[in-house]
Amino acid sequence: MSEKLQDVIKKQQAQKVAPQKKDEDTLQVVGFNVGDEEFAVSILNIQEIIKPIDFTRVPGTPDYVLGVFNLRGNVLPLVSLRLKFGLSSSKYSEDTRFIVIKNGTLILGFVIDKLTQAFILKEAEIDHTLDVQSEQEGLIYGIGKREDKIITILKAEGLLKREF
Amino acid sequence: MDELQEIMQDFLIEAFEMIEQLDQDLVELEQRPDDLDLLNRIFRVAHTVKGSSSFLNFDILTRLTHHMEDVLNKARHGELRITPEIMDVVLGSIDQMKSILYAIRDNGTDSNSGIDINPMVAKLDAVSSGNSVESAGAVNTIEPESVSEPVVVNDSSESSNEEEPDYANMSADEIEKEIERLLRVRQEEDAQRRAAKKADKPVASEQSEVHVETEVPAAKPLPEQPQAPKSTPAPVTAPAPSAQKTAVSPQQGGGEASGSAIEQTIRVDVNRLDHLMNLIGELVLGKNRLIKIYSDVEERYEGEQFLDELNQVVSSVSTVTTDLQIAVMKTRMLPIGKVFNKFPRMIRDLSRELNKKVELVISGEETELDKSIVEEIGDPLVHIIRNSVDHGIESPDIRTSNSKSDTGTVALKAYHEGNSIVIEIEDDGKGLDPMMLKSKAVEKGVISEKEADAMSDKESFSLIFKPGFSTAAKITNVSGRGVGMDVVKTNIEKLNGIIEVDSINGKGTTIKLKIPLTLAIIQALLVAVQEEFYAIPLSSVLETVRITRDDIFLVEGKSVLRLRNEVLSLVRLADIFGVESTLEEGDNLYVVIIGLAETKIGVIIDRLIGQEEIVIKSLGYYLKGIEGIAGATIRGDGRVTLIVDVSALMQLAKSAHKKVDQKVKPKDAAVLAHKKMHSSDYRVLIVDDSKTDRSIMKSSLKALGITIVEAVDGVDALSQIKSSDAPFDAILIDIEMPKMDGYTLASEIRKYNKYRNLPLIAVTSRTGKTDRMRGVEVGMVEYVTKPYSPDYLMNIVKRHINLSVEA
Repeated sequence: MSEKLQDVIKKQQAQKVAPQKKDEDTLQVVGFNVGDEEFAVSILNIQEIIKPIDFTRVPGTPDYVLGVFNLRGNVLPLVSLRLKFGLSSSKYSEDTRFIVIKNGTLILGFVIDKLTQAFILKEAEIDHTLDVQSEQEGLIYGIGKREDKIITILKAEGLLKREF
Repeated sequence: MDELQEIMQDFLIEAFEMIEQLDQDLVELEQRPDDLDLLNRIFRVAHTVKGSSSFLNFDILTRLTHHMEDVLNKARHGELRITPEIMDVVLGSIDQMKSILYAIRDNGTDSNSGIDINPMVAKLDAVSSGNSVESAGAVNTIEPESVSEPVVVNDSSESSNEEEPDYANMSADEIEKEIERLLRVRQEEDAQRRAAKKADKPVASEQSEVHVETEVPAAKPLPEQPQAPKSTPAPVTAPAPSAQKTAVSPQQGGGEASGSAIEQTIRVDVNRLDHLMNLIGELVLGKNRLIKIYSDVEERYEGEQFLDELNQVVSSVSTVTTDLQIAVMKTRMLPIGKVFNKFPRMIRDLSRELNKKVELVISGEETELDKSIVEEIGDPLVHIIRNSVDHGIESPDIRTSNSKSDTGTVALKAYHEGNSIVIEIEDDGKGLDPMMLKSKAVEKGVISEKEADAMSDKESFSLIFKPGFSTAAKITNVSGRGVGMDVVKTNIEKLNGIIEVDSINGKGTTIKLKIPLTLAIIQALLVAVQEEFYAIPLSSVLETVRITRDDIFLVEGKSVLRLRNEVLSLVRLADIFGVESTLEEGDNLYVVIIGLAETKIGVIIDRLIGQEEIVIKSLGYYLKGIEGIAGATIRGDGRVTLIVDVSALMQLAKSAHKKVDQKVKPKDAAVLAHKKMHSSDYRVLIVDDSKTDRSIMKSSLKALGITIVEAVDGVDALSQIKSSDAPFDAILIDIEMPKMDGYTLASEIRKYNKYRNLPLIAVTSRTGKTDRMRGVEVGMVEYVTKPYSPDYLMNIVKRHINLSVEA
């Protein structure tokens, strides 16, 4: 019995150690859809992902700032990524989620259309050249290439920057 | 280095605390120059500051305080009478001491503060030597000694001052010797202290070192004593033991009292209290939520046993939370006396400067209010009091010719009134002249002549708060720049306070400041505008009134409301916050009269929700500085409600001024009415968990030719209502359903303002009277019991949806 237990513990430890080794030259991200495009944000910047809840409109803000919502006693701003990226707004679907992104003390909620998956990208797979030409300067960390698709990796700092 | 830093911090805190008391004492001293107790207290401050500053190598400060100490010491021994002239010098030196202390606080040193103390030192010297000779005749046999004394003292202090920089240049041996010498002195002092204790003389702890030292020579004069730099008063006191003894006895009492008082209190970092207050805020939110849930549960399970128990728990939690909140708030409270303390000194200086006789009467200085407010309230009060003395109080000859006493009175009063604190500043001066104020304001272009004519006397008083407005004929040091009262207004507004000015021409002026007790948790009035809720701080709400459209008048294109004898501008909250109108306004309008500082406006809202205790939460960096919004709070139902920033609202109101006497017509309704050409444009939602029941309803309504949508339970219905493109014209609801029952569904639907008039029809087999009652309570307009005839249901639906086209 105890041998078995030790085996399990050993295995668990091995698992714990393993990803750390890779950590240095990889980026673990969570992918999601906004409109037809797929985006991703580093998993380290994601505090949590929740189903849509009620929010309160805040007057005098740009239209992509939907308002504020209550996340367990904290009042957080809510931003629609569709509107921020210049798409038209759409109704919530079964897949709509609020993704809570933080960077330091700044925390914001974002409405996204659908979560896709969490995955690990090697730095080599990320193309940083686009950043310079990008309109939304500072918003894009790089372009991740993955099998058959291309994923825009967003920078948390850029997402959380107040632009009004 | 860190240790030294810590000592310096302690020194600064101590020094500033002492100085606060010092000003008060000195002014009192002027009235009672013979009060030894006072003198000793003042002397002790100078001495302590000197001792600590020499230890910390603040040479300039040491030198200044040393000379102050000289003068005070003489006064203490009756060798010097405190005259107003001498007091001016002493007060001046204390001011300089303050500025040096500020410099130390900011720069960590007094060497490059740019303050030249030489003139002040010279003045102090003149006082201590010159005047003491002058008054020597009155004093008596000590005279020859006292004349020679200052010389000795000055020498020793100067030598000790020169000594200090030498520490750096001393060799290791010399330093060791010096340390040994100081240690020896210290040990002797300790020994004497122990002896004194044994002799059953109460000796307070280190705080009153001064008093121990001065006591020493009386008990056992020692030759080494004069050497110690800290005990400079010793050589002066030693030759006059008789005078010394009388000085010591009252001092002991004082020392003891402060000694025991210190054990009762602890210093707490304000940040910790703030954190505690935040946690309490969370608790208050939780409490609100609990109360809300309880009322929901009470409604649903009326008469059940466990409700009593739940009620007890809820109410005890709520009492404890309230008590806890009050307790923590109290720890943050400071007596307003802390602010009032500096005014006797200010009045004294002002009256001397302006050659007026002014008496300050303070009452209610023990009234407590939140620390953050105490910090903000000081400046406005300074400006108001200056104003009262400069503009209000007349010069003595004018006063006498007006058959007033030649001494003017400024009364400063503080007291609690409900959830706020009121500070009243009353003077018996010449008062405000409405005509003069108006003409001045027109002259300076602050208001137009037309506006001036329309102004009531009371309104004209508030002109004094306009920036750039001053009634002073000439600009003096004290006032006349037209800045002061503007500062008052902004600061009081920042605190959500209200200013009231009242004045009788020739009799005097009263300015009343009404400030909320605390800033973190406030009482608020919750109002609804269309479907949005806003919280208005109750401290700014003067009253709420219900008016009809006919009560609104137009003045120069602006909507105003005549309320009793006042005319108020009106704005619609929906216009200010750009709320989308989906709902038609009724003929009755609710108006919340809000007042801030000295202005009042009426804000039109749709509904009043009620009064609630709310916790202010910041909107954070991302949304900071949104105009008109002061923060947010979380209500009992977990939703976020925005808190209106009343002062910004007043600003916004000016620009948003628009006619409000027209009815707002919802755009959607107009469009819809237009669109309904066919009966199939009417949409009815059927909510029932049984497919059979749904089919029966459908077939009953088939003849109407309307569009029918189905939902299988409350949750499904609610999401369909929210997501549907066109609104429903009626909803048929079964009561008994899984997930969410019909009552809950109905009350959920009614939460949305736009569905306030949506017909909800209960279709159920529950026939009890209580069931019907509940149906009415949650907003059902019709109660159909199963079984029913198809025609009956059809007619009811037809009636409620106002079907006007034929199938």
